[in-house]
Amino acid sequence: MKDKQFWSVAGIIFVLFMIYWFAGHPYFVSERSVMFWSILIVGGVLIYSTRMAKRGEKIFLRTIPGLKAVEEAVGRSTEMGKPVLYVPGIMDMDQVETVAGVVVLGHVAKMTARYETSLNVPVSRAIVMKAARESCRESYLLEGRPDLFHNDMVHYLTDDQFAYAAGVNGIMLREEPAACLYMGKFYAESLLLAETGNSIGAIQIAGTASPSQIPFFVTACDYTLIGEEFFAASAYLSQEPELIGGVKGQDTLKLLVTATVFISLTFNFFHDLGWISWDILGYLTVQ
Amino acid sequence: MFMKRQLPIAIAAIIGFITLFGWFVSEPNIKSFVDDDATQWFDILASFAIFLGALNLLKLQAMKVMKQQKGWPYAALAIAGFLFSFSAGFILLGSYNVEISQYNDPAKVATVLASEINLDEKSTENILMAMPEGDTYTIETPYFTKNGAEDVVEKINAAGGTANMRATEWGSHISTRGSLFNWMFRFIFTPLSATMFALLAFFVASASYRAFKIRNFEATLLLVSGIIIMLGRVPIGGNISAWFIMYIVVLSIGAGVNTWFKNRTITLATVGGGILLVTIAGFITGWPIDQPGIFYLPVLQDWIYNNPNVAGARAIMIGIGLGIFATSIRYILGIEKSYIGE
Amino acid sequence: MEKFLDFIVRAGSLDRRYIFVVIALVVLLPLFFPLGLPIRPTIASQKVYDVVEELNAGDKALVSFEYGPSTKPEIHPMAVALLRHLFEKDVKVYITCLWPDGQFMAMEALEQVAEDQYNKVYGEDYVLLGFRPGNEAVIKGLVSNLRKVFTVDANGNFLDDIPMMTGINQVADFDYLFSASAGYPGTVEWVQYAADPVGITMSTGTTSIQVNEVMPYVQSGQIKGILGGMPGAAEYESLIGQAGIGTSGMDAQSVAHVVIVAFIIFGNISFFVERRRSKKY
Repeated sequence: MKDKQFWSVAGIIFVLFMIYWFAGHPYFVSERSVMFWSILIVGGVLIYSTRMAKRGEKIFLRTIPGLKAVEEAVGRSTEMGKPVLYVPGIMDMDQVETVAGVVVLGHVAKMTARYETSLNVPVSRAIVMKAARESCRESYLLEGRPDLFHNDMVHYLTDDQFAYAAGVNGIMLREEPAACLYMGKFYAESLLLAETGNSIGAIQIAGTASPSQIPFFVTACDYTLIGEEFFAASAYLSQEPELIGGVKGQDTLKLLVTATVFISLTFNFFHDLGWISWDILGYLTVQ
Repeated sequence: MFMKRQLPIAIAAIIGFITLFGWFVSEPNIKSFVDDDATQWFDILASFAIFLGALNLLKLQAMKVMKQQKGWPYAALAIAGFLFSFSAGFILLGSYNVEISQYNDPAKVATVLASEINLDEKSTENILMAMPEGDTYTIETPYFTKNGAEDVVEKINAAGGTANMRATEWGSHISTRGSLFNWMFRFIFTPLSATMFALLAFFVASASYRAFKIRNFEATLLLVSGIIIMLGRVPIGGNISAWFIMYIVVLSIGAGVNTWFKNRTITLATVGGGILLVTIAGFITGWPIDQPGIFYLPVLQDWIYNNPNVAGARAIMIGIGLGIFATSIRYILGIEKSYIGE
Repeated sequence: MEKFLDFIVRAGSLDRRYIFVVIALVVLLPLFFPLGLPIRPTIASQKVYDVVEELNAGDKALVSFEYGPSTKPEIHPMAVALLRHLFEKDVKVYITCLWPDGQFMAMEALEQVAEDQYNKVYGEDYVLLGFRPGNEAVIKGLVSNLRKVFTVDANGNFLDDIPMMTGINQVADFDYLFSASAGYPGTVEWVQYAADPVGITMSTGTTSIQVNEVMPYVQSGQIKGILGGMPGAAEYESLIGQAGIGTSGMDAQSVAHVVIVAFIIFGNISFFVERRRSKKY
């Protein structure tokens, strides 16, 4: 969408919304208005950053060693003639981390297609199998190597957490992949996978937003993408200005959140001292 | 192209938009869609998709067995396990109860029943005698097969009792204690799952041994706080005196002083002075195990858990929350299209 | 001396299987020869105890089982201890399960505590509502209308026929909520979709690994106390004065932690010797 069109559409939506708002906003849950306006602001900042990036604004994206190492890992597998193992977490497609894992898989599949390296993707959910398969197929097609793609490179093991961990560990011990990539949502199986990968001497890169599993991956893997780094992976690997703009938007939002925390803290302090009667915490609490 | 590109993006955008903003609308239909229908649709889709997964699993394992690839006996075991659990859940009921309603001679019936309920004949007879008139006695553990239950019924009837067989209802056979599925869950699935989880203890030990090295200042902090948490969290930490920790602290300060000044006299004076101070303080206060609190491991552990840990966890959670939100917005607005291969 | 240092360097790259054997031994031995180490409750465990202690006879507690056989050794002891405390105080217990295997865990705990220990009557003192698929959607459903999510209990009895279900229509009708959780869906979802919006008092019990993730909610007061892993269970058992599996496992865990710390220290000595040598040459 061009700038003129975009601002016209945005303006129309804004005017219509204002009419609705001042007409008494029927059906609207007023207690949740703080949340509503927060979403609008957050969405607005993200859209603005994305459009600025699209218009050619230069955005600096710092080097993320873990993502830089992905290509090295695939290259190492190629040199050793061993496969690349990719684990997209143990949750379903309703988790954003799994979607992000499948997105990164698409980029990894492009590299394996380019280097003619074999890729093995065991999954624990049938829908993830379908999505991951499609993602790999497209990547092989885009790289002009559909001949190298076969459906069974993405295969289902089981839905059960530890049975899946046992299955993946078995694959690691039998096939001895040179690179193991763990990108998605993980729970207690994270260390089981990473330690087994370590025992076979594979180069290991993990990416997750599960706070309790980050320490295990940091301990046992060569590189770990922590939370936001993982979500920024798609932008980093594709270098698409639209996606990089989104990452910048996230940083701007962090500043806004930090400012909100400080302002709330000050108001709450004054409230506790009895200087003001307005309870900001009550206002900000989700209803 | 439309089916593979525009349509999926349109579905993601429309459903995502309704789900996000539906939360602010008090219209019952939208509310019901957001709260119930949308997630239930996903569950239904996921339930059907499991067939795809199961078929894929069977196909790959069967191919491994046929081609006798490396580790093919495990593949055969996987197929056998799949077929067994599938049968126990969907084909075989595996839960048949035997009920005894009447008997002429309790001693005779007890002879048959005793071996079935693993009790001696006298105790079994007492159980039967204590049964109120008109009541029925049900053998607690159901039989896996219809024939097994019918055999026992026949034996009891032949011994002068009146017994009959009752099959558990389909559906509740899953949770009935002693049914085939329940047996499989308790005696195969439970120990296997617990074994996998228990492996964590071993892996944590080997990972810590390899990774917890004093490489730099941050690694040292990680190591020290790790040790405090590990010891302070368990009862043995409560038995380590705060004074012992104080002596360790004095020695560590001595090591630091030595590295900094590289002078033996200063190091000796620091360590000697520190030990002397701690000892005098100990004699004055009577060496209480948990005082001073800042050197008592359980107190230190609590502090680390509740302060630096929570601060870090909150920061990571806010960052991750923003990341999830930004990613979701990108999908809803169609900016991120990599999930359909673009 | 040089030979000794050689040994230390070699031991630094010890095959992990030796470590496994040592850990297995130190976990097994205290189970056979208990040390009886005293257990000191943490503030977070004490908080759970205090909240339950404030409940009166006849109050209604919703307990949710979100764990399976794999995490049973960590969570089950605390679920059992909590049920003991609730039944001791004659609180009415309602059980839901967000995990399918949670129902089996709940059945086992109820058989052990409600039936064998306290002789409680099903339907009057406790009820097992059972498992419903849908993760957080189930929680949302319970918050808006429990009767829509559950029309029958786990045994197929209609809720209208169960005496203790009278007047129970949504989460707000309960006095207390406890989530015994080993992951997703679990504690975090209960806080976000039930405890926070409804304002019901909630506590939780989680695996040790999860404590980090849940602790911010405990500190902000959104969750009143947390039992963390087996130590949490042992602490709760000591608070209610009924030693169980948690307490007996504490000796093994204590010794295992000490051995792991010893391994770490030894690994560092080896690392230093090796580093000094490499600098020298």
